[in-house]
Amino acid sequence: MHHVNPLPALTRREMIGRIGAGFGTLGLAGVVGNPALAAPPTSVTGSIDNRLAPLASHFAPRAKYLIQLFMPGGPSQVDTFDHKPLLKKHAGQRPQLVDRKSLRNTKGGLFPSPFGFKQYGETGKWVSDLFPHVAQHVDELCFIHSMHTNIPEHAGAILMMNLGHLQQSRPSLGSWLVYGLGTENQDLPGFVAMSPRAQPRGKLANWGNSFLPGAYAGTYVNIASMKPEAILRDLKNQYLAKADQKRQASLLAKLNRVQLERVQQDQQLEASIEAMEMAFRMQFAVPEAFDLTKESKSTLEMYGGSEYAKGCLLARRLIERGVRTIQLSHSIDGYDIAWDTGHGDIAGGHTKLARACDQGIAALLTDLKQRGLWDETLVLWTGEFGRAPTSEGKKGRDHDHYGFTCWIAGGAVKPGFSYGATDEFGLTAVENRVHVHDLHATLLHAMGLDHKRLTYRYSGRDFRLTDVHGNVVHDVLA
Amino acid sequence: MHAVRFHPTRPLWLVTLAILALPLVPVGAADKALTPQQVEFFEKRVRPLLISRCFQCHSGKSKVLKGGLRLDSHQAVIKGGDTGTAVVPGEPDKSLLVRSIRYQAYEMPPTGKLKPAEIAVLVEWVRRGAFWPTEKSATIARTAEGVYDFKKIKATHWAYRPLGKPKQPTVKGTNWIRQDIDRFVLSRLEAAGLGGAPAADRRTLIRRLTLDLVGLPPTPAEVRAFQEDDRPDAWARLIDRLLDSPHYGERWGRHWLDVARYSDGFGGFLDNAALPHSWHYRDWVIRSFNQDLPFNDFVRQQVAGDLMPEKPEAWAGSGFFAIGPTYKSDGGDPDSKAVARSETLDDRVDALSRGFLGLTVSCARCHAHKFDPIPHEDYYSLAGVFNNTKMVVKTLATPAQLKAYNDHHAAIKRLDGEVKKLAAEIGKAGDKATDAQKRDLAKKQAELKTLRDTAPAAYPPSHVLGDTGNKDMPIALRGNLRKPGPIAPRRFLQLLAGPDAKVFTKGSGRLGLAEAMVAPSNPLTPKVFVNRVWAWHFGRGLVRSPSNFGTLGQKPTHPDLLEWLAADFVEHGWSIKRLHRTILLSATYRQSSAFNKKAFATDGDNRLVWRFSPRRLDVESWRDSLLAVTGELDLNLGGAPTEDVRGSRRRTMYFKVSRTGDRFSTDVFLRLFDFPIPRATIAKRPLSTVPQQYLFLLNSPIMIDRARGLVARLKKEAPDPSARIERAYQLLYGRSPTPLESRLAHDFLDGETTPTTTTDDRDDVLISDFEGGNYGKWTVTGQAFGPKPAPGTLPNQMNVSGFRGRGLVNTFFNRDQTVGTLTSPKFTIKRKRIAFLVGGGNHPGRTCIQLLVGDKVVRTTTGRNNELLQWSSWDVAPWSGKTVRIRIVDQVTGGWGHINVDHIVQTDNQQATAPKEPPLDRWTQYAQVLLGSNEFMFVR
Repeated sequence: MHHVNPLPALTRREMIGRIGAGFGTLGLAGVVGNPALAAPPTSVTGSIDNRLAPLASHFAPRAKYLIQLFMPGGPSQVDTFDHKPLLKKHAGQRPQLVDRKSLRNTKGGLFPSPFGFKQYGETGKWVSDLFPHVAQHVDELCFIHSMHTNIPEHAGAILMMNLGHLQQSRPSLGSWLVYGLGTENQDLPGFVAMSPRAQPRGKLANWGNSFLPGAYAGTYVNIASMKPEAILRDLKNQYLAKADQKRQASLLAKLNRVQLERVQQDQQLEASIEAMEMAFRMQFAVPEAFDLTKESKSTLEMYGGSEYAKGCLLARRLIERGVRTIQLSHSIDGYDIAWDTGHGDIAGGHTKLARACDQGIAALLTDLKQRGLWDETLVLWTGEFGRAPTSEGKKGRDHDHYGFTCWIAGGAVKPGFSYGATDEFGLTAVENRVHVHDLHATLLHAMGLDHKRLTYRYSGRDFRLTDVHGNVVHDVLA
Repeated sequence: MHAVRFHPTRPLWLVTLAILALPLVPVGAADKALTPQQVEFFEKRVRPLLISRCFQCHSGKSKVLKGGLRLDSHQAVIKGGDTGTAVVPGEPDKSLLVRSIRYQAYEMPPTGKLKPAEIAVLVEWVRRGAFWPTEKSATIARTAEGVYDFKKIKATHWAYRPLGKPKQPTVKGTNWIRQDIDRFVLSRLEAAGLGGAPAADRRTLIRRLTLDLVGLPPTPAEVRAFQEDDRPDAWARLIDRLLDSPHYGERWGRHWLDVARYSDGFGGFLDNAALPHSWHYRDWVIRSFNQDLPFNDFVRQQVAGDLMPEKPEAWAGSGFFAIGPTYKSDGGDPDSKAVARSETLDDRVDALSRGFLGLTVSCARCHAHKFDPIPHEDYYSLAGVFNNTKMVVKTLATPAQLKAYNDHHAAIKRLDGEVKKLAAEIGKAGDKATDAQKRDLAKKQAELKTLRDTAPAAYPPSHVLGDTGNKDMPIALRGNLRKPGPIAPRRFLQLLAGPDAKVFTKGSGRLGLAEAMVAPSNPLTPKVFVNRVWAWHFGRGLVRSPSNFGTLGQKPTHPDLLEWLAADFVEHGWSIKRLHRTILLSATYRQSSAFNKKAFATDGDNRLVWRFSPRRLDVESWRDSLLAVTGELDLNLGGAPTEDVRGSRRRTMYFKVSRTGDRFSTDVFLRLFDFPIPRATIAKRPLSTVPQQYLFLLNSPIMIDRARGLVARLKKEAPDPSARIERAYQLLYGRSPTPLESRLAHDFLDGETTPTTTTDDRDDVLISDFEGGNYGKWTVTGQAFGPKPAPGTLPNQMNVSGFRGRGLVNTFFNRDQTVGTLTSPKFTIKRKRIAFLVGGGNHPGRTCIQLLVGDKVVRTTTGRNNELLQWSSWDVAPWSGKTVRIRIVDQVTGGWGHINVDHIVQTDNQQATAPKEPPLDRWTQYAQVLLGSNEFMFVR
């Protein structure tokens, strides 16, 4: 296949992407005195195997970037976006419909949401008081109320959401995307995973490349302790001023080119020279991308001051610079399954968590629209599962993998649309059920990839993100 | 592990082919009738088109087969569908298929007409006879009755054929030949119109061979000696010298550890245990290679070493399985528990079958293998063996050895008591002590010394397998252990041992399994191993899928050579060192790596081995080489692993490795340079070239350390700049610099001489680095600090790392129960911060390092309950200009009741907690460039 549409002129994204030019274009002639060395060796044919170069998708993509707003721990659907007024009527009862084993085999009756619900937008979508800011966008969001997954345990279900597999032994969604599509800014990582303080349970596996080549691994950034030098290991040279470093790096480039000339054709050597020049540029491009001081006051105010909001703003900056995909996980108080505060007290825990992300998420949606990034970006909001409409203890809810809600935003999906449904109390997905594998297939499809053709040969067989499962949910696509 | 990539220069149809045509693998050898061009035309042009445009409705996999027509086999195409034959070979116009795609009969595909070029391909194909390469599909492995015809399968698939030594092919270029294996290589080269490359020069050869056999570069003296050795057997002598080196076992043992998915445990939350004794298995592997343990014994001991009671040295071998992942369930849910058990068993089956046999038996976990003759029950025949085992920690000694050890130490204790008693009596008696008493004491003391000197060393505990039962397990339907099917008797694979394979009855059955694996009837064990050895020598195997010799694996580039090597290997007692000699003495191995335009055009991928493929060093050899050329390398063999990625000078194979690949700082370093995650057996290492690697080369303090080390060595060993440049080139590359390289060096070094720094910070002020063998002017109280700074880890302590130099404060003196304080003399605060390395216990206020202003504690820090010293620092700006003291306190006597401190400095460095590094002068910058160069990182 061929490269993705070679862009005729530098786009705004490319302009941003090329800040901090390298030394690669420095001619060798002046120093070396041998005109033959001035130009790159002409004996080299074929392309350099840069694993991150943009690649053509299987078919025309509807979106080019994915931001996953991941809510580990399991946010409750009936307290957020899946309004079930019948809970109040049947409070305390345990109809057969909801008498299913959850993780803990709770025996509690139906527990009405402690939150108020209001209708928003022209679509009149019901949203709880937990998400007043996101609620302003309901006419642009596509809700899937019929999500379900395999097990009610955090560890496995989180991996299922992020890897499509219950064990850690597979590449993550983001690394599959970069493997399939490459990335558009060669000075930045193609896949950035972020969270404030705690990494979601399973840690590295959630953005890991597993058996895919190392180039596809997500780069993790802790938003709470974000320092430029902490973003990428050894990003900053603590010894030399830029001019000296440039002088040193160009000596290395020259000696490597001299050697390449001596041994002739060698793609590995060529690639390594490219990689070094890229590394040199990254030193300056990465801190720039993560520097929020360049944002206007009004933008900063729109996002608000929470750590998660900072992540949302960074996500926009990275997408703007051509990073393929972002995984932004929620966490407060350093808890790795933040939303799992619902066992004892759904009202307290969920209120705190929603407050810490609602405004930032809404601002991200607004910002993407304002900057013309909406059409080519997908935003996915989801937990690894939901929570049961019955009570655990007096005021809590146990895990629910039979049904939960996610929403997707962006030009690729139907705006103001609700797909699928749980039963009348919100426990089990019953209408147009969508498994996590189906969600993955759909996301890949929206980004121009056929989930059955995106394969990697490992340990004797071809692996896929969706394994042997997955159906594209065409009904949610615009 | 071959990536199916959308290569920018590769046409669409090739990609489609690569992705979709996997289940249909042509058996080239059977296609006598077809020319390679025909096969190529079909596979590249025709089949992809059929797959992408027709199969949705017209194949065995179509959800709904339309018109009864299948287009996925030759017979099916000729037979046609409901309306008769689809293709009349040679007659496009009479073929319904052609008429339909022209929209003259049916309108196919209904979703839109094919492009004219695509139609042309199919028309051309029919016109040329609609040829179709014969295929091997899943069903071919079975007879009509669904029973595997193992005999037929064995006779047809190259890998399963019994071992036999093929005849040497005849070749024209006989003067190139040095070894039997060269004939096999040359015959294929000649068939392609090529020849073998001339031998590389001696400098290249000794660098190639030394890195290959011991993982280190040759010294300049070794290079010179080899260049000047004009004896006819100089090369053979060099091979022997290196094979005799104890570092050979390290280098080749490390190769095997990839296959063994070796780690120090910590596989993540479902497999989150440490394996603190893993390294005994690693050291066993090193010893086995060094002693040239025959490979069949090497296999036996790894499968069942623990079942050889008389051979405790073999027990550690079963670590191969014991150090694999052992999964647990998260919530204790029965389904999750079954998944955990079944994942654990899968690791054992997978490591065994891919690692030793090149078979993907794991694919038969949920159903019969789709492509290889491995029935579903065979998986559980093997899994059943491991279902009767568990990992145990066992002392590597026989009962007799343990008794001897205990008796010996009891005797020491007894005699020691007697000596003490006698000495006390003599002391009491004073002048009245008799000569006899004194003689007796002297005699007993001498005896005691002898006993102590001859005491056997403590036997190490190691992770080994142990049998837990003797029971067959049922087949798990669809891989679910909670859905048991019929019982699968424990026995070896039917493919290799026959359908009436001997059933294992003794214990878990591992002794029987071990014998079956190295039985003469099993050709796979030797074939797979010799191929691995070839791959480790040449960068790629004769079979380029070293852990998959099945239908979906790659076919050997030199099938006869593989057979011959395997047969020769078995014939000569499975000696690995002999196998090395066979390969290394060849002209094939000695070939130059020079580029050859004609050969490259014919065989760009070097499948025919027309040259030695240049390649990047693996991370271990590269880091070891860095330390070797700077003269810093610690060459001690074996022992506990380290996670001190910056401070350690040991060989890289002694770095701690976690199964998740992210737990230790050593993991992070290794992974950056393609060290594989040891989650499953590794077939071959990936190669990635990414900018992060160059961030490391340009900016990492580790590279700066090496550069400083190299400069120190150069300044010691060479008098002036030119001599130093020359020396650097000899040390790193084994050659002199070219005039151009010299000029570049001088130009670089002659630039401005004052070093530059990133900030205006002042230099650091050292408070103490605890070097020099005493505490100097510091005041000691209590016992915990011992008489002087510790040299490192103290007796009975876990490995302490992260300190600098050869001295540190370590209050583990006489273990945790000792207490005390160590107080510095008064000094004046002259910088913004005080930074130091600290490790040990986490007991704020009781065992800690404190800053005292007067007698008031104003800053305090503790360790983190580990033995790794890490940087910590205090903001001391508020007391600028004041006189202060530092006090190190250890008051805790229980667990982690000690603290480690080193290298206390005053610094202005605000950003990093570590103290400021001295600035880099030009020489250090230059040394860093040479160490980071491609010439150093690649072997040719």
